[in-house]
Formats: sequence, C-alpha cells, structure tokens
Amino acid sequence: MNMHSKTRYVILALLVLIPSFVNLGVPIYNRNLPELFGMPFFYWFQTIWLVACTGFYLAYAKLVEKKL
Amino acid sequence: MISPDIVIVFVSLFIVFIALGFYGKYWRRGDLNHVHEWSLAGRKLGTTLVFFLIGADLYTAYSFVAIPSGVFAKGSLYFFAIPYVMLTFAVALVTMPKLWTLAREKGYITASDFVKDRFNSRTLAIMIAITGIVAELPYIALQIVGMQSVLTVMLAGYANAQLVQEISLLIAFVILAAFTYTSGLRGATLTAIFKDILVWITVIVVIIVVPISIGGFGNAFKAAGNSYVSLPENLVPAYATLILGSALALYLYPHAINGVLSAQSAQKLRSSTALLPLYGIGLAILALMGILVYAVPDAMKFLSGFPESSRGILVVPSLILYTLPGWFSGVALLGIFVGGLVPAAIMAMAQANLLTRNIIKEIKPNLSDKSEIKITKVSSTVFKFIALGFVFSVPATYAISLQLLGGILIVQILPAVLFGLYTKSLTKVPLIIGLVVGISSGIFMMESANNFGPLASSLIKTMWGPLYIAVISLAFNLAIAFGGSVIQRKMNSRKQVI
Repeated sequence: MNMHSKTRYVILALLVLIPSFVNLGVPIYNRNLPELFGMPFFYWFQTIWLVACTGFYLAYAKLVEKKL
Repeated sequence: MISPDIVIVFVSLFIVFIALGFYGKYWRRGDLNHVHEWSLAGRKLGTTLVFFLIGADLYTAYSFVAIPSGVFAKGSLYFFAIPYVMLTFAVALVTMPKLWTLAREKGYITASDFVKDRFNSRTLAIMIAITGIVAELPYIALQIVGMQSVLTVMLAGYANAQLVQEISLLIAFVILAAFTYTSGLRGATLTAIFKDILVWITVIVVIIVVPISIGGFGNAFKAAGNSYVSLPENLVPAYATLILGSALALYLYPHAINGVLSAQSAQKLRSSTALLPLYGIGLAILALMGILVYAVPDAMKFLSGFPESSRGILVVPSLILYTLPGWFSGVALLGIFVGGLVPAAIMAMAQANLLTRNIIKEIKPNLSDKSEIKITKVSSTVFKFIALGFVFSVPATYAISLQLLGGILIVQILPAVLFGLYTKSLTKVPLIIGLVVGISSGIFMMESANNFGPLASSLIKTMWGPLYIAVISLAFNLAIAFGGSVIQRKMNSRKQVI
C-alpha cells in the first residue's frame, strides 16, 4: 500500500467513524440547554445531526468511487 | 366523528395508489417470469428510485406508529430511533455495496443465497432463511397495526367501527396482494414514491402548523413532563445499546436486502444510502408528535377515550385529525396508511424469496424457473394474509412486542452475512452454533426480562444498567463464531501435521 492510498483509507474510515462516534456517544448530546425554538438540545441536536451525517456519508461515497 | 371530505380525499388518493400499483407491471417493462425481474425490478433502479424505494421500505409503521407511541408513553428513550437510522446507514454504506457487487456477479437474490455459496453450507443457509422469515412476520403485523390505528381514529364514533375496520383492512390487503402478484417490485416502487410524497407533505405541514398553534415547542415539553426533556442518566446505556443493536439489525432484514439488490449499480446504491439520513428528519418530526400531542387538548381528550395501552399507537393519526385543516387530514392519514402497505408488500416478497429459493429449492433442487416464480408469487400472498390473520386474532400490543423480539433474532445472522463479506477466518460449524446460541440466549433474556409474561421490554438489567438484549446475545454469537473458527482452524492444522 503506498502512502497515498493509506491516507485515503484513513479518511474513508474517519468519514464513517466520526458520525458513528457522535451517535453512540450519548452523553455528548444528552442535555437540555441550549434550547432552539423551545426544543431541548437533546432533540434538535440529533435532528440537525442527520444533515451533518448526510454530508459525511456523501463525502465517503464520492471518495470511494474516485479513481486513484 | 370525522367529516365526509376527509373520507373522500382518503379514498380518492387510495384509488390513485391502487392504479399506480397495477400500472407498475408496464413500467420499465421486463419479463416478469424471472425472479430478478419480479422481485428486484430487474436490478435497474437508479439513485433517486433506490432512495425512494429504500426510504419507503425502511421508514415503516415502526417509524410512523411504534416510535411516536413509545415517545408518547415513555419519553426521550424512544428518540433513539434518530441516531439509530444515522448509524444504520453508516453500516449499510460500508457493507451493502460489497453485497450488491457479489450478488450481481453470482445472481444472488437473498442473503441466504450468499451464505450458502460463501460457506458452502446448506444447513446454515436454511437456518438464515428461516430466521429471516420468522423475524419478518411480526414486522408485517406491525405494519397492519399502523394501518389499523389510522382506521380506528377515522371510524371512532361510528357504529360497527370494528367490523368496518376489519373489512377495510381485508380489502386493502386483497388489492395489495393482487398488484404485488402482477407487478412485483415495480408496483412497490411506484407506490413507494407516492407514499414518500404524501408522508413528506404531512411532516412538513405538521412541523409548521402544530408548533404555531400550540405556541411553540416549549409548551409541549412543559405539558409532557420531565422524562421528556432529555434522557434520564440511568437510561444512557440503554439508549446507546438500542442505537447499536437496531442499527446492526436493520440491513439484515430480508426486505432491506431486497431493496438494496434492486439498485442498478454499487455507485448508485452508495449515493442513495448516503442521502437516506435526510429521510430521518421526517422520522424525527413524527417522533416529536408523541410530545407535541400533550399540548393539544382536543387530541388528548380524544385519546383518553381509549384504554391506556392503545393510546400510544393512536397518537399520530389523532394529532393529524385535530390539528390539520379538514380535507388535508385525509392526505396525511392516507400517507400513514399506505406507509404500512408499501413495506408490507416488500417484506412479504422478500420472505417469499427466502422460502422458495433457500428452503423449497433446497428440498426440491430441480425446480423449473417457471415453478420458482409461481411459488414465490403465491407464497408472498400467503405471508401477507398470515400476518393479517395474526393481527385480527391477537391484541395490537402483541405485534409490537413480537417485533421487538424479531430485531433480536435477525441480528444473529450478522456474523455470517456481514463478516462473511470480509473475513476468510469464519467457518460454518461455529457460525451455526453461534446463531443457535445467539437466538436462544436472546429469547431467554427477553423472557426473563419480562418475567416470562407478556413481552413489553427488550432491555435487561445488568451491572452497567439496562442494556438492549440484541447486543448482548450478538456478543455471545460473535464470540462463538470467531473463537470457534480459530479453534477449528488450529485443530485442522494439527491434524495435517500429524
């Protein structure tokens, strides 16, 4: 494995592992404040995180397909 | 009692739904006498269609009814559904394109086809097929419970409501069976798009109209109480393991794999999977309805007319009825109603593939293509009516409990199906023992966590707090599968030395 493909492999892994770490790290988002439109942090964070996850996953999908 | 305009909108849209289902046969025409044409729509679906199909296939009555019901009754714990779907798409993004590629190369239609080929074991393949069929049944039943909840709310106050409801469900299922028989996955795909549009219109309207009419989210959270604001500290391990266990299980369900294999290319499958968390925003809004309803006095009053155990499943349809403008409730209610029908069709189709290809064909290997497709079509019809009969004969809460058990069962095929894609170190005997131990320990823990009574919880108390049973039984299963394979390999190499 050359250096280039090794870096790529690490980035791919991070693109999947970072969102997963946040999702499973419940204490990260288990709090009431700050609220958004009266909605506790716990709820709005997880909902908005769906959009962020999509970003990570799309980047993963693009990078996997990129020819070296 | 509901006004006639709601019923008119509901019925007219249902007629459009039926027409789309039957039209499926002519859409992107293929020879439907081939299994891959009938049940995988010819493996020709592009990014957008796969997005809609898998979206409609995975976001089911479980999201529309069971999750809001749980949020309503128990609070924040049930919001685990949101991180769960995010995680499940990460799992799918990594594993499913690989399965898709192998399936295209070797002509697999089911996960069991892959396992049989990979481990050269009929026993393991048959066991995995049976696990899939059994775990899927209560999932179909849950879809029917979701449809039932819509009808219950619509028919409340009318005479003979129960009878009308059962007849309506029967008619809906006869129609569903008829167009699935003729159109296969093509019919399901077209109706899936229709379902997705209705559900999305509904959730967008709900999230705008309801918070405004109740004076902001804050009021709903105030009305709901403390365990709704964030997660009680002692439930953190439960929340995390529910996310993990459910995320690992979802893509092992036969209907999920069926959707995956209908994609046109691994690349298109990847792009649509990456986009699917967006669909989860709809799920989050539906889950929040379990809290919003507390601030809508009319809906709460309506719900109080039902026994406590069945209030939860009625939350979404009642909130729709009491907050959205008249005719529009008809649109939204039909969205929830067909939200159960579309997945039910794909689930029964996937079960039928397992039964025909991985069980019947194993016993009768010289089955012709023509008989194979015939048996598949007929058994997919039979499976739908088994689930319907089940819902008619037992209380709705049973369907939900058995679906919890289904998740614990299906996750046990993970070592063979997902690890089988990557590692060469697994062998068939330890996989079989692991599967048996995983399933039996899962059932045993489930029973003992519920004191051998009705199944209400899938969490078991441990020294780390309550944990989702699926994760514990999967850990046993994995330990045996990997440990056993290492031991077997060592023993084999020693034999060779001697």
